[in-house]
Amino acid sequence: MIIVKKVNKAAVLTSVCVGILGLTACNQNESASSEGGSDSDPITIMATLHTPEVPDKKIQNMIEEETGVTLDIQWVPDNNYDERLNAAFATGTLPQVISIKNADMFKGAVRDDQFWEIGPYLDEFENLQKLKPEIMENVKIDDKIYSLYQGRPLSRSGMIYRKDWAENLGLEAPTTTEEVFEMVRAFTEDDPDGNGQDDTIGLTDRSDLEYGAFKAVSSWFGTPNHWGEKDGVITPEFMFDEYVDTLNFFRDIHENGYMNKDFPVTSKTDQQDMFKTGKAGMYIGSMGDVESIYNDASKLNPDLEYDVHNYVEGPHGEYGIWSIPGYGSMLMFPKSSVETEDDLKRILSFYDQLMETDNTNLLVWGVEGEHYNVEDGMAQSIAENQQAIDREVKPYLSLEIGEADSSGRYEGFSDYEPKTKATELEKDNENYLIQDLSIGLHSDAYIQNGERLQEIINDATYQYILGQMDEEGFEKAVDNWVNQGGQDIMDEYTESHNEING
Amino acid sequence: MKNIKKNKLIYLMIAPGIIYFLIYKYFPMYGLIIAFQDYKPYLGISGSEWVGFQHFQRLFQDPDFWMIFKNTIVLFILQLVIAFPIPIILALMLNEVRSNLYKRSVQTLIYIPHFMSWVVIVSISYVMLTLDGGIINSILRVMGFGQINFLLSEEWFRPMYILQIIWRESGWGTIIFLAAIAGVDPQLYEAAKIDGASRLRQIWHITLPSIRSVIIILLILKIGDVLELGFEHVYLLLNSSNRAVAEIFDTYVFTAGLQQGQFSYSTAVGFFKGIVGLILVVGANKLAKKYGEEGVY
Repeated sequence: MIIVKKVNKAAVLTSVCVGILGLTACNQNESASSEGGSDSDPITIMATLHTPEVPDKKIQNMIEEETGVTLDIQWVPDNNYDERLNAAFATGTLPQVISIKNADMFKGAVRDDQFWEIGPYLDEFENLQKLKPEIMENVKIDDKIYSLYQGRPLSRSGMIYRKDWAENLGLEAPTTTEEVFEMVRAFTEDDPDGNGQDDTIGLTDRSDLEYGAFKAVSSWFGTPNHWGEKDGVITPEFMFDEYVDTLNFFRDIHENGYMNKDFPVTSKTDQQDMFKTGKAGMYIGSMGDVESIYNDASKLNPDLEYDVHNYVEGPHGEYGIWSIPGYGSMLMFPKSSVETEDDLKRILSFYDQLMETDNTNLLVWGVEGEHYNVEDGMAQSIAENQQAIDREVKPYLSLEIGEADSSGRYEGFSDYEPKTKATELEKDNENYLIQDLSIGLHSDAYIQNGERLQEIINDATYQYILGQMDEEGFEKAVDNWVNQGGQDIMDEYTESHNEING
Repeated sequence: MKNIKKNKLIYLMIAPGIIYFLIYKYFPMYGLIIAFQDYKPYLGISGSEWVGFQHFQRLFQDPDFWMIFKNTIVLFILQLVIAFPIPIILALMLNEVRSNLYKRSVQTLIYIPHFMSWVVIVSISYVMLTLDGGIINSILRVMGFGQINFLLSEEWFRPMYILQIIWRESGWGTIIFLAAIAGVDPQLYEAAKIDGASRLRQIWHITLPSIRSVIIILLILKIGDVLELGFEHVYLLLNSSNRAVAEIFDTYVFTAGLQQGQFSYSTAVGFFKGIVGLILVVGANKLAKKYGEEGVY
């Protein structure tokens, strides 16, 4: 019997490892399980890789020297991080530090005491205490802190548009949704590039209702951010009239041909290409993208000019913009690999050191004089070493804890003016934030069904904009959502909300 | 036992095969247990709670179940009826070509697409079919037909799906049938010619009957793939406007299950799919045997 059990275990492990992970993860097994508590043992980290290549170890070596800790970093590409995490979980090979974007997937595990609660220890660490309390509030699960966060600007959303086109047509940056409509119309119909041909469109969008144009525009109209409150009930955004107003706005733009027709299947690359090549004149999304877009576009057309803009009033005469919870991902510490309290303290103390200003600068900007120069108290990347920066520095950004405000690291300097303006407007956005009311609330129904249900709404949203569905159809989709389990989510969120707010 | 001793080398030779199937095909079936559990990765199979048929109930009660079931079956039948015979027809046609050089170059050309990934094929179709400057729609507009929204419509999903499969797979499938045709006894053709049979008659009465068993075996194997319609392919074509005809079990498992870490539910759906596949294969095999064919086993 024992033998059978062992064989089964081994077989499952082998097949899972081979099938899902490839062989590397099985090797990982050894290093993870032989982890003890002594100071010379490396800290194992599963880090997100946003670049095509695994980074050069130069920065890592310097960090290790500064902190006296050895690191064993497993780089996992961003797009299959979650799968790898699940697989590592299933095979019991979690490293000591993992980063999580969506806490819902792990709420169950947190409740089953699989992760360290770090809240009580934070007092001991000088730098970790500087993490922003309002964001720490957002990472809480059941009112307890389990994770450190990697900070992100609360709202990067806004528009990038062709300033030269607007000037040709005598248009100013739009400050109301009506002016936005007028601008995309003019960019389409009034030959903004003056070549006498009907070859431009106003807006370019992609198959992304969140980071594409839709959510930003819906905030202009005053729609809540995912979840809002209506008559004391926590209600999803699409049950608010403002959401339907946004739908109609997009439907008009689409119907008139002021945007790319196939936007529900357009990729980010294709979307940006339309903008870079002068086919489209407005891009709504992350304003910070303006620099990289300009770098490519100016090679094709050196005369083109971009500008960024954030403030657009909706019909209510107010400006609002949706906000992320203030972090990109959270770092968590599984009890299966961080075995003792001492181990945990050792890891936390490493992150505490990492958050020291100099170390964070090293992590984010690289070596002064080699990767960046300091200009007006800000870091400017050295353009001719861009390749080295991409290979040696950039990937390590995903190890950063907190943000410039909390660690005191340099902000970025850019001599491309719209980029600097974009950074200012991101700050300005903080005055108009629309928060997601469901953050910190709990719903089992949402964890089980939320994403699947959201698909009903996403489909209906696209179909409505494309004119394949009328208002009645949309209402029916919302009813579907409610009947298939949405009601439970609303009930659970509301209950959870009332509990927390007394 | 005696037999094993006597032929130990032969048994040794099949050992790697048996081990392969045990490790990769049979032991993993143990994992199906989680379809009946509320599986939690950190608790493992031994620690997770048993929930009986709860996940299956959830699947059958899902309002989309019949839509998904129907889509899966329709795509499967389309494949069987339209895509499956094409390699046979191609093989028969190529077989009639007398110039060896021409025959070989055609054969090579049509099987190359098999080596392209679905991502590439779907991207090519996207670039050609998009309303935002795609070549096909530009041609249609110039010719005065107006534009057709291939990518974002329910009607065009199935034709697109099946055409892509034909384009990618039919050349590859032709190889087996050509090989089967090559094995037909030339004397049969000689005799038929003497009896005055035309080319078409020869194909109908000699070639096709001779490769019938190959066709049937491949058909049964194909049926074994029922509900394995190619997750990647469908997933890439799937979008908000065609979901009503394009959502199949594989994509459903992915969105409803794996993306949210619901392993048990995903496994239950996969399990159900496997059972349907098994029933179909056994049925098809029985049917083949009943009509005097060899069958797969």
